[in-house]
Amino acid sequence: MGRKKKKQMKPWCWYCNRDFDDEKILIQHQKAKHFKCHICHKKLYTGPGLAIHCMQVHKETIDGVPNAIPGRTDIELEIYGMEGIPEKDMEERRRVLEQKTQENQKKKQQDDSDEDDDDEEAGPSFQQPATTVQPQAAYAPMTQPGMAPVPAPGMPHGSYSGMPPMMPGVPPMMPGMPPVMPGMPPGMMPMSGMMPPTHGMPPMMPGMPPGIPPPMGHHPGIPHMAQAPPATARPAVPATTVSTPQPSVSKPLFPSAGQVQQAASGVAVSSTAPPSAAPKPTFPAYTQSSATAPTNTSSTVAKPGTPVTSKPATLTTTSATSKLIHPDEDISLEELRAQLPRYQCKIPSAGQAHVTSPPVAPMGGVLPPQQGIPAQQPGVRHPMQGPYGAPPQGVPGYVPGGMPPYGQAPPMVPPYQAAPPRPAIGMRPPVMSPGGRY
Amino acid sequence: MSLFGTNTAFGSGGTGVFGSTTTDSHNPMKDVEVTSPPDDSISCLAFSPPTMPGNFLIGGSWANDVRCWEVQDNGQTVPKAQQMHTGPVLDVCWSDDGSKVFTASCDKTAKMWDLNSNQTIQIAQHEGPIRTIHWIKAPNYSCVMTGSWDKTLKFWDTRSPNPMMSLQMPERCYCADVVYPMAVVATAERGLIVYQLENQPSEFRRIESPLKHQHRCVAIFKDKQSKPTGFALGSIEGRVAIHYINPPNPAKDNFTFKCHRSNGTNTATPQDIYAVNAISFHPVHGTLATVGSDGRFSFWDKDARTKLKTSEQLDQPITACCFNSNGNIFAYASSYDWSKGHEYYNPQKKNYIFLRNAAEELKPRNKKW
Repeated sequence: MGRKKKKQMKPWCWYCNRDFDDEKILIQHQKAKHFKCHICHKKLYTGPGLAIHCMQVHKETIDGVPNAIPGRTDIELEIYGMEGIPEKDMEERRRVLEQKTQENQKKKQQDDSDEDDDDEEAGPSFQQPATTVQPQAAYAPMTQPGMAPVPAPGMPHGSYSGMPPMMPGVPPMMPGMPPVMPGMPPGMMPMSGMMPPTHGMPPMMPGMPPGIPPPMGHHPGIPHMAQAPPATARPAVPATTVSTPQPSVSKPLFPSAGQVQQAASGVAVSSTAPPSAAPKPTFPAYTQSSATAPTNTSSTVAKPGTPVTSKPATLTTTSATSKLIHPDEDISLEELRAQLPRYQCKIPSAGQAHVTSPPVAPMGGVLPPQQGIPAQQPGVRHPMQGPYGAPPQGVPGYVPGGMPPYGQAPPMVPPYQAAPPRPAIGMRPPVMSPGGRY
Repeated sequence: MSLFGTNTAFGSGGTGVFGSTTTDSHNPMKDVEVTSPPDDSISCLAFSPPTMPGNFLIGGSWANDVRCWEVQDNGQTVPKAQQMHTGPVLDVCWSDDGSKVFTASCDKTAKMWDLNSNQTIQIAQHEGPIRTIHWIKAPNYSCVMTGSWDKTLKFWDTRSPNPMMSLQMPERCYCADVVYPMAVVATAERGLIVYQLENQPSEFRRIESPLKHQHRCVAIFKDKQSKPTGFALGSIEGRVAIHYINPPNPAKDNFTFKCHRSNGTNTATPQDIYAVNAISFHPVHGTLATVGSDGRFSFWDKDARTKLKTSEQLDQPITACCFNSNGNIFAYASSYDWSKGHEYYNPQKKNYIFLRNAAEELKPRNKKW
């Protein structure tokens, strides 16, 4: 522990300068005060999210962030919790805090009862009166160079939630990072989980300090790991399009193109799925696709008679930016594969209609197919009727392709095609007379 | 040497070391190739338990066979024996003393293979293919647990043709894992059930899936005291969820991460998302390995929430993996998993099992927080 995270200070709201104990509380505050739609009271996750929501849902534009102090009303700045706060504002804040602590110390030395000056940060911003003392005490050590005292003592949650925002998904993940961490400009936040597919990201990238590139090499791996805590507080943002998440099911964020575009950082959106988390807006395409749960092909295992179609591998989820390499069916790969005739079990059992030996080669012989075929073709007395019948005799019901009735077309074709040329054919027609037209 | 009767393309000699192979995409990691691999896709791998000296690897395949190799300390693999089912073998496991191997097949039966006598007997019967098989060793009982596509989970005393117990599941069993006293089963339709095995198996909790796509693989992990405490669940959507059964802070402790996806930062082409075919935990370090349809394996540290390594891409999906009992060997199988459907299946293509030294690469990262 002891990594210098947390932007060296307690979480504070950029819009109204209030302080909070915990970033979670900060985020709740922002959602309720700054990102709440005045029309429908829906709580969004960021300023731009709110703007988009108002535009799309209510056809109304908003000028600025509600309840924000002058100068901090920029609706376009993507700030979420402590992430997205412009560097200069962070510095300004730090300076202000330091000044305050210095003042505090001076005052304490001179006069230990005057705490009026602390009201700005302590007063309205604390939701828990009991903790009002803490920030003051915490600020005293702030003047010391080390950050450790602030995040470490008794703030496991804080420090943890503070971590991810630090680096593009890095803090817990970058073993080589600690020396770099303190140097990270706070503007680096937005990486984990904040990534609306659109803006927000690009501004971050240029801000990467030179110290980052070497560790960036890890990034292709890093973004894959998401963390629950920041994620709980940090759903992806396109709230407007995703306004109907299923309540009790958390949605992992989908790596949208916009997010993935964050070139070097490879900032995969922090995907989290704590079961108890509130519904998270996700990337629109992902939401739509995840809503499609094809069930029409369920329990196909029980239908061996279904012609096994050699259908191209289709996709369960397709979006402009990604595709799932998986056949578009609701059954598992093993179930799909097990339907194939070549994998049917050698010993016929009650439920098995297809009984053929798995390897195709033996099919060249006349006899083996006999076992299975009679069961499948009502009215056919001679199994050989099919293959032989199709081309030369045109027996009704047998199309030259011959396959559908068998339901096992692909593997069976080669041997059957080899059959007609055989001299035996000439002898067949008389034998096949019973059902045929002979 | 080949004790395997069928056409083994590979039968010459027991040498498994192929360091001089040119950059063949079938083995880009230059790992040891197991000799006489099966002739069709490998569905499952299992190493012998620590109670047995030496390392024996069991592999089941879609060619209906189960093969046993001895893995020697010098890296050589020696085929030892083979048994057949009448349908593809979907899962295998060892008994705790290493004397028996249990095999589960699409032929709706499970068999017990006594390695000493090289005899098998059928010990289970289901009404659908048996997808998972695990040996349970409890203080007061021992049994085999089978999960099937017939939506039942049955427990078998190997001496009786009738199950000791049969539990109904909401859906077909897709994957399962057992670490006494916990068992986890993931089913179709994203079902997830935890069972507790003390005294007798019973359903403990049905969990709302942390994943949005079809469940594909699951593996239980243990805490520092070697007690099972949670599981890793993989889906077809290149994602793994780490889920604790009773975490102090579920929102914080449970998480998911993406894996087995292509071109992560290049957005010119759509990202390909592959299924996670198997997950295995290192028995010593507690770090995990995932293998996917993309033909790569990755090692992860779930506590530091970081990736340890990703392999080069093999030319086929990796369908199964496992660690040996002391964690020095990581075995993974390269064969087609049907992820692109029937068209991409080439019966002529060779299937491989590779062995990799896992002692170093799976060491956990130092936690920084």
